[in-house]
Amino acid sequence: MKNILAITLLLLGLSGFAQAPKGFTVMKDTTAFKNKMESQSKLTNTMESDFTQEKYLSVMSEKIVSKGHFYFKKTNMLRWEYTSPYSYLIAINKDKMFIKDNGKVNKYDINSNKMFKSINEMMVATVQGNLLSNKDYKAKYFESDKFYLIELSPVQKAAKDFLKSIQLYINKTDYAVDKVKMIEPSEDYTSIDFSNRKTNQPVGDEKFTVK
Amino acid sequence: MRNLLLSSFIALFLCGCTFGHYGRLQKTASGEEPKPIFGDNFNSFLFKTNITVYGKDFSGLLVTKQMSPGDYRVIFTTELGMKLFDFEFKDTSFTLHYCVPQFNRPKLLNTIREDISILLMNDLKGKQFGHYTDQKQVYSIAKLTTGKISDYYFTESSSGHLAKIEHSKKRIKKTIFTLNNYENDFPRNVIIQHYNIRLKIELNLLKK
Repeated sequence: MKNILAITLLLLGLSGFAQAPKGFTVMKDTTAFKNKMESQSKLTNTMESDFTQEKYLSVMSEKIVSKGHFYFKKTNMLRWEYTSPYSYLIAINKDKMFIKDNGKVNKYDINSNKMFKSINEMMVATVQGNLLSNKDYKAKYFESDKFYLIELSPVQKAAKDFLKSIQLYINKTDYAVDKVKMIEPSEDYTSIDFSNRKTNQPVGDEKFTVK
Repeated sequence: MRNLLLSSFIALFLCGCTFGHYGRLQKTASGEEPKPIFGDNFNSFLFKTNITVYGKDFSGLLVTKQMSPGDYRVIFTTELGMKLFDFEFKDTSFTLHYCVPQFNRPKLLNTIREDISILLMNDLKGKQFGHYTDQKQVYSIAKLTTGKISDYYFTESSSGHLAKIEHSKKRIKKTIFTLNNYENDFPRNVIIQHYNIRLKIELNLLKK
């Protein structure tokens, strides 16, 4: 009886620690990692990449797969464009947001809408990996031989209603975000894989204005 | 005399608005019963979807999936993957599994739910239809009346395809569903246009 109690207490105690996802261990030196991410982010002025987005819904047998390309330019300019199986474009240019859908362009002032503001922050931070410094999320740090894995959980209740956590898979060789996984409270998720990344190549400002 | 003329014009105008369209339908002894477009094949269907409500645009991906006979799940997400609503229609019951605050307004939510329910045609089995045809005899029209509400299902006689559903109250059109661009007996485009509120839903098939 005493043993069962001891084992139960041990299990309860262990569950309180950060549980590492399969293939990962808890990161040892988070300060060095954060410093390296920050310096890498400072060195990145432009970035472009292909992406593949997969939406997993537990009720569906297949994932919904969409593909596209994005451009990023400092400061706060992003063009996120789906090309398959549909066309849809979001462009962020400082405090303006453009959405092109069905050939129709809508222009928004990011600061006028809380939702657009958080979409902007989330997208730019996802590409740059600087969600780590955002106070709206609590971070847990893990690593494997190839990746750093940062698991971010929202702090505010409003965000918790639709988001359980964001996982950022950061490549250990170049500190770039290779994959982002956004997990909903129901365990349905959206994952985005980046490929053919180019950094610090010339990107014209016209990419971030949509007519 | 002048009053009589005026009254006649008003009467004619009112008839034109409310009864004219349905009044011209000719009753037939029998006809086509509407065939549910999603059928009983347990496939999932993915649509690029635009919802325009009082001038605001929501776009995203709508997925329908038959879980078991008479049980459909319908999920709407943004292009970026954020779930906006998750409905389940099981026989005559409805479950709201999830909904973001922007859609969680009773009138809007009930209207969209009713639209999807009409499109799924899930509870038509065993229902008694009245049968009609139009003047040009292009369509075989099945009418289902429940209280003050009537749904008219227009099946194109030449192709056997469901071309239109008119949802009306007291013979006044409330909503028209137009089903276009059939491919392998499935419409690639569906437009749901409301006439009593500023709401339009357009579905374009991406994958099935």
